[in-house]
Amino acid sequence: METRIRLLLLSVVLAACSGCASMHWPWHHPKPDDSAGAADTGADPNAPPPPVIEPQVERRQVKVPVIRARDVELGAYYGELSIEDFGAQPVAGLRFDYHISEDLFAEVTYGRAKGGRTSFEELSGNVQLLSDAERQFTYYNLSLGYNLLPGEVFIGRNLAMTSALYMIGGIGNVTFAGDHNFAVNFGAGFRVLPTDWLALHIDVQDLVFKSNDIGIYQLKNNLQATIGASVFF
Amino acid sequence: MLLALWGLPLVSAPARAAHELLQLFVAEPYLELHTGPGRGYPVTQVVARGESVDVLFRRTDWFKVRTERGVEGWAAARELGKTRLADGAAFQVDLGDLAQFANHRWESGVFAGDYAGATLIAAYSAMSITNNLKIEVGLSQFIGNVSDGYIADIGLAHVVMPEWRFSPLVDVGTGYLRVEPKATLARPVDRSDQVAYAGAGGRLYLTRRFFMRAEYRKYVVFTRTNANEVNGEWRLGFAFFY
Repeated sequence: METRIRLLLLSVVLAACSGCASMHWPWHHPKPDDSAGAADTGADPNAPPPPVIEPQVERRQVKVPVIRARDVELGAYYGELSIEDFGAQPVAGLRFDYHISEDLFAEVTYGRAKGGRTSFEELSGNVQLLSDAERQFTYYNLSLGYNLLPGEVFIGRNLAMTSALYMIGGIGNVTFAGDHNFAVNFGAGFRVLPTDWLALHIDVQDLVFKSNDIGIYQLKNNLQATIGASVFF
Repeated sequence: MLLALWGLPLVSAPARAAHELLQLFVAEPYLELHTGPGRGYPVTQVVARGESVDVLFRRTDWFKVRTERGVEGWAAARELGKTRLADGAAFQVDLGDLAQFANHRWESGVFAGDYAGATLIAAYSAMSITNNLKIEVGLSQFIGNVSDGYIADIGLAHVVMPEWRFSPLVDVGTGYLRVEPKATLARPVDRSDQVAYAGAGGRLYLTRRFFMRAEYRKYVVFTRTNANEVNGEWRLGFAFFY
């Protein structure tokens, strides 16, 4: 009898304990993993939807390598410069280009030539208007270029090269006849790229400046035609 | 077996080289590849969603890329900005905008103007210390009727409101001035003096990476005579940031 009462009491206690576990006490906050278990059994239809299980996956660490920018062009050119009154003379120069956008580029050029003898000097025998050092024609230009007609050129069936016909203009300095002169340059050029790192140029520009080397101010036009090559960095 | 071992370095060498390049995965339906770095060049290849490209290099706002099949072409930066990195994150590409105008490392520009009645040509470069404060170095040449000369200067510029499209700026600095009198005049000797300047001006953001800059500066030339010379200069120019 006593054993039966004891069994009864024990089963009541056990039933109460298991009942407590399934109850939602206000101080009981479900952990993510045990709420998932509850969702499986569908114990409480009024419970909020179980949170999505975050998979324990290690993210791939991607190191983003620096992308090389090849916007800078360095090169040299050679051609003919017609120095007003002093004849057409060979000219050589250096160019630095920075391509700002697909349309625009900034250019710095530095060139040198040597003025010849004027017709007056040739005809009048031994007259020297300028000394040898003064005949040195040096200039620099700070220009802005616009790729007016970009395109491609084709050589044969298998070779296509990107190219552009550009307009260019800027300001600079011309040192000639021992004087510095503020100069304006403008012209057009053609650039073709046989490879991604090499560019070939053909340029025609006018260097205009006001000079008073014969005592009166005159506008001097100095036309220049050059070919050149440059490398992209 | 031997052949396999012999072939192994041949396979791994290009794989290693490709690994150093940035790999991007196409997330849009397709990525167009042009034959040249410009909007008008024809599209001859497309890369399908999920496929990857290796970025070889950048020219202005175009990227030369190589597909998994080894085909090379040019992708526009704006299009490449819609691709994803190998970890799924979006690829951030800088195109130059007003936010970058406010916050960039370097800028360079060219000016034309007037220094004490002489025509001025000037170029400058600046490095940003903060968005407001910049260290500037400049080189100017002035060409006048009486004399020519050069100024090399270094200074600090304070941009008052860098995030505004138009922002005032003030600057101070010091430098070195060389004056060469014209050859046509009786030759006094060339002279070199130290200068200091203070200036005020403004910057106006135009588009992409470009802005305009205008400024008025007062130079004090510390001459060897009793009185210092004060010269005014104004300059207007174009600049870009990178």
